[in-house]
Amino acid sequence: MELRAYIIRRLLLLVPVLLGVTLFIFGITMLFTPTQRAMLYVRDVKQLADMPAVIERYGLDRPFVVQYGNWLGQVFQGNLGYSKVVSQPVTDAIFQFLPATVELAIFATPLIILLGVVFGTTAAAHKDKPLDHGTRVVAILGWSLPTFWLGLILLMIFYGFLTGFLPPGRLSVQMDLLVNAAPFIRYTHINTIDAILNLNGAVLLEALRHLVLPVVTLTVVQMAFIMRLMRSSMLESLGKGYVLTARAKGLSERVVIRKHARRNALIPVITVSGYVFAGLANGVVITETIFNFKGIGWWAWQAAINLDIPSVLGFALFNAFLFVLVNLVVDVLYTRVDPRVRLGQAVQ
Amino acid sequence: MKDWRFVVRQLVRNPLSLMGLILIVIFIIIAIFAPLIAPTPEGHQRPYMIPRDGYRAAPEPPDEDHIFGTTQGQYDIFYGVIWGTRSAFQVALLVIGITLLVGLVLGSLAGYFGGIIDEVIMRITDIFLAFPALILAMAIVAAIGPSLRSVMIALTAVWWPSYARLIRGDILALREEDYIEASRGLGASSARVILRHALPNAIYPTLIMASLDIGAVVLAAAALSFLGLGAPEGYADWGQLTSFARNWIVGPPGEPLKHWYAVTIPGLFILFFVLGWNLLGDAFRDIFDPRLARR
Amino acid sequence: MKDLIRIRDLSVRFYTYEGVVHAIDDLDLEIRQGETLGVVGETGSGKSMTALAILRLVPYPGKIESGSIVFCGRDSGGDLELLKLTEDRMRSIRGNKISMVFQEPGAALNPVYTIGDQISEVYLLHRRQELGHQAMERVDDLISNGRNGFGAGAKRPFWHWQKRLYRKIAEQPHAVEPRLLNRLPLFRRLLWRLRDEAGLLTVNMLKDVEIPDAARVAAEYPHELSGGMKQRAVIAMALACSPELLIADEPTTSLDVTIQAQMLELFRRIKAEKGASVLFITHNLGVAAEVCDRVAVMYAGRLCEIATIEDLFLHPSHPYTRALLDAVPIPGKELQTIPGALADALNPPPGCRFHPRCPSATPLCQQERPRLKTVGKDHMVACYLF
Repeated sequence: MELRAYIIRRLLLLVPVLLGVTLFIFGITMLFTPTQRAMLYVRDVKQLADMPAVIERYGLDRPFVVQYGNWLGQVFQGNLGYSKVVSQPVTDAIFQFLPATVELAIFATPLIILLGVVFGTTAAAHKDKPLDHGTRVVAILGWSLPTFWLGLILLMIFYGFLTGFLPPGRLSVQMDLLVNAAPFIRYTHINTIDAILNLNGAVLLEALRHLVLPVVTLTVVQMAFIMRLMRSSMLESLGKGYVLTARAKGLSERVVIRKHARRNALIPVITVSGYVFAGLANGVVITETIFNFKGIGWWAWQAAINLDIPSVLGFALFNAFLFVLVNLVVDVLYTRVDPRVRLGQAVQ
Repeated sequence: MKDWRFVVRQLVRNPLSLMGLILIVIFIIIAIFAPLIAPTPEGHQRPYMIPRDGYRAAPEPPDEDHIFGTTQGQYDIFYGVIWGTRSAFQVALLVIGITLLVGLVLGSLAGYFGGIIDEVIMRITDIFLAFPALILAMAIVAAIGPSLRSVMIALTAVWWPSYARLIRGDILALREEDYIEASRGLGASSARVILRHALPNAIYPTLIMASLDIGAVVLAAAALSFLGLGAPEGYADWGQLTSFARNWIVGPPGEPLKHWYAVTIPGLFILFFVLGWNLLGDAFRDIFDPRLARR
Repeated sequence: MKDLIRIRDLSVRFYTYEGVVHAIDDLDLEIRQGETLGVVGETGSGKSMTALAILRLVPYPGKIESGSIVFCGRDSGGDLELLKLTEDRMRSIRGNKISMVFQEPGAALNPVYTIGDQISEVYLLHRRQELGHQAMERVDDLISNGRNGFGAGAKRPFWHWQKRLYRKIAEQPHAVEPRLLNRLPLFRRLLWRLRDEAGLLTVNMLKDVEIPDAARVAAEYPHELSGGMKQRAVIAMALACSPELLIADEPTTSLDVTIQAQMLELFRRIKAEKGASVLFITHNLGVAAEVCDRVAVMYAGRLCEIATIEDLFLHPSHPYTRALLDAVPIPGKELQTIPGALADALNPPPGCRFHPRCPSATPLCQQERPRLKTVGKDHMVACYLF
C-alpha cells in the first residue's frame, strides 16, 4: 500500500477514536455544575463577568447531545475554553507552555533510548553474569524510583547541598529578563535552541544547567523500561538461526551482536517508542511540578489542583491527539525498519 | 505450565529475585502487624490519620518519641510510613482486583466472540489508551474531587484496558487451539468453554502481570497523592507524606540537608516496596518467557 | 586418500538443569579429502553436535570435554589441532576453510539484510586482500583512462588516495588506515569499492548455485524467496570462499521432495566440480544414498558403523543399521519399526547403548561398550557380533 494512501487512511481512522475521546472527556465534564462547565466556552476575560449569559448562549441546561454538539463546534473553532489558573484561553496556554516541555523531550528521549539500548544489549550479551545482574539492578532501580521522589532528592543534593549548582526552573530571573527582551530573538521559545540561534553562549549554558536535573529525572525512570525490553529482545534474537550462521561464517562476536542480533532486536523497541512518549507525558507532569519548570505538565497540575476543568480537559485532549499521531509515525517507521512488514500490516 | 518446584528454585537461586521476595515478605509483615509496630495513641479516633504532636510548621528530626522524626505540621513519620504500608496494599489490591475482573470479563468476551462485540470493546479500550495514564487519572480525580477513593477509581479506569487487551490476545491465540475445538465438538456451551478451558490458560500470564503491577499501582497512587490529588492531608499515605517535604528539601543556609528525613524516609519506603515487586516481576518474566529456553 | 579431518576420542557433554547429557561419547571419525561422508542417525544421535564441534560452535550449556579434531588443510601449513586454536584463528577458518549449511534456510538468513549483503559479508571478511587488489585495479583504470576531462583534474588526488588505500588493503591486511576507516561509521563508506567487488563475486556465486536472475535476487530480502532458493543462497554463502570442508546439516529435510531432488543434484555437482569434502548429515538413508561416498551411522552419541555406501546397503552389519534399512517403508510390505524407545539422554543404557532394542543382544552387550572393528574393506562396526 502506498505511503500517502496509508497515512490518509490512518488519519481517517483517527476520527472515530478522537470523537470517542472527545465524547469521553465531555462525559466527564457533565459531572460539574453549569457554571463550572461554562468555563469551557469562555473566550476572553470580558465574558467571565456575565456567566448566566454564557450558560444561556451555549445551552448548558439543554440535553446532553445538544451540549456535546455545541461543545464540539466550539472545539473545531479552536476554542477550548478559558484557563483560570493562567488567565488566558486554553489554546493560548498550550502554545505558551509547550516549548518548555518540548525542550525536555528533545533531551530526554534520545538519552532514554540510547541508554536503554546500550544497557539492554550489554545485559543480554553477558546473560547471567555479573554484568547482566549489575545493569539489571540499575535498570530495575531506575524503574522503581518514584519520579517525584527522585526529583526531590536530586534537588536536595544538587541544589540544596551543592548550593545552587543545578537549580530548578527554566532560567534564573536575570536570564529570563534578558531572554524576553531585545536584542534576543525568540525563534522557537525553546531556550537552548534560541540560545544557539542567537549565538549566546551564556544563555545556552544557563539553560543547560537548569535542564540537567529534570532531564535526568525523566530519563532514569523511562530508560529502565526500554532496557528490559531490549534485553529480552536481544536474548530472543541471539537464539535465532541467523546468529549461529553468522558465527559459522567466522564473524567476530562483536560484529555478530552489533550487526546481526541487535538490528533485529531493535525492531520491537521502535514500536514501543510510542509508549515512551506516553511515559514522558506522564513523567513530565510530576517533573515540571517539582522543578518549577513551566511547561504544559506544570500547567496541567496547577489546573488539576485548582479544579480548572477546561485546562485539564484541554490538556487531556491535546495529549490524546498527539499520542495517536505519534503511534502513526511509529507504525510508518516500523515498515522502514523491518523489511518483512508492509504498510497496512498490524504492528505486533 | 512450568513445574512449580522449578519456578521456586529459580526464584531463590537468583539473588535479585530473592531480594525482591524478602522485601515483599517484610512489607506484608509490616502491613499485618501495623497496630503492633506503631500503635494508635489513646483516644485517637481514626487510625489512618497520623497523630500530630503539635502544630509547628518545621519538621523535627528523629528523636526517642519520633523514631523517624516528624513532617511539617508535626505528623509522626514513623506512624505514617507503617500505616502507609497498609494503605498501599489496600489501594493496590483493590485496584488490581477490580481491574482484573473488568479486564477479564471484557477481554474474554471480546476475544471469544469476536465480531462486533470485539470491535466495540476494542474501540473503547483505544479511547482509554489514547490518554497517558497519569493525565487521565488526573482528569478523573479532578472531576470527582480529590480523595483516596477517587484515586482508586481513576487508577482502575486507567488500568483495565491493558488487561482487557492482554486477555483478549491470549484468548484469540487459544481460540484456534485444538482442545477448544474439541470441547465445542463435544457440545460444550460457549460460557463453559471460556470458563473451564480458555481462561485457565490465558489467565496465567495475566495473573503474573497483575501481581507485578502492584508496584506500579502504588507508584501511580503515590504520585497522585503527592500532587495533592489523592489522600487528604495527614492521611497515612506514602505519597502524601512525601508531599509534606516539598517545602523543606532545602534547609536553612548552612544546614541544607537539615530535613533530609522528611523526604528520604517516606520515599525509601515507596522505593523498596516497588523495588521488591519489580525484582520479583523481572524474575518471573524471565522464567515464564516462552522464548527463553529453559536451561 | 588422505584425511582432511581426523576426530579422535571426542566427547561433548551438556550440563543441563536435569543432569549431564553425553551428546557425543568418545567419537573416532575421519573425513577424507574429496569425499562426501554421510552421517546418519535419529534425533539425539549426536550428528549435528559433531558438526558444531568441528567448528567449535557448541552452544551453552554444552562443552567439548575432551578429544582432538585435527584439520589437515591444503594451505594451513600442516595439521591444525582445531580444539587448541585461538578463537581468532578459528574464526579465520570458519566460513573460509570449513563452512556450514543449516537445516532451516529461512532461519539461517537474517531477515533485515538482503541476500547479496549476507553473502558479500563472507567475501569482505575472508577475501579482503583480493577485493582490495581488484578495487585498486579499478581505480587504476579510472585514473589512466580518466573521464574525458570531466572533473578529472580536481578528482585526481582523491583517486590516488583511493588507489593507495586499496593497495594497502591488498598488501597489508592489518594496516592502520583502512582498519581505522572501517571502524568509524561514516567513513566506512569510503571503502565502498570493496563492497562493489564483493557484490560481483556474490552474483557469480549465486549463478553458480543455479539461481536464476542472480543480480535481482542478490538485492532481495530472504522473505521474498522460496524455500528452495533460500537454501541455494545459503549454500552459495557457504561455498563463497571455496572451503575445503562443507558441512551440510540436514540440508534437504525442510524442502519439498521435488526441490529436494534438485538440491541433491546441486550437491552432486558441487562434489564433482569443487573437489571439496562434504560432511552430509541426514536422518534419511535414501538421501544419503544419492550423494554420499561413505556413510557413518550414529546412535546415542556413538558411532555404530561406518562403510562405503554400497557396502552399507549390501552388507549392513550393525543391528541398528539393519533395523534402519528395514524400517524404510516399502509399498505392499508391512511397516517395520524399531522396538523400544530412544536411549534416555540423561540415563543411557550401560555398555552398548542399543542393547535394549537389539534383537541379538548378549549379556556382554550390557557390560562393556563395544569398540570399532574392521569387518571389510573400509568397513568398521562397533558390535560384539563381530
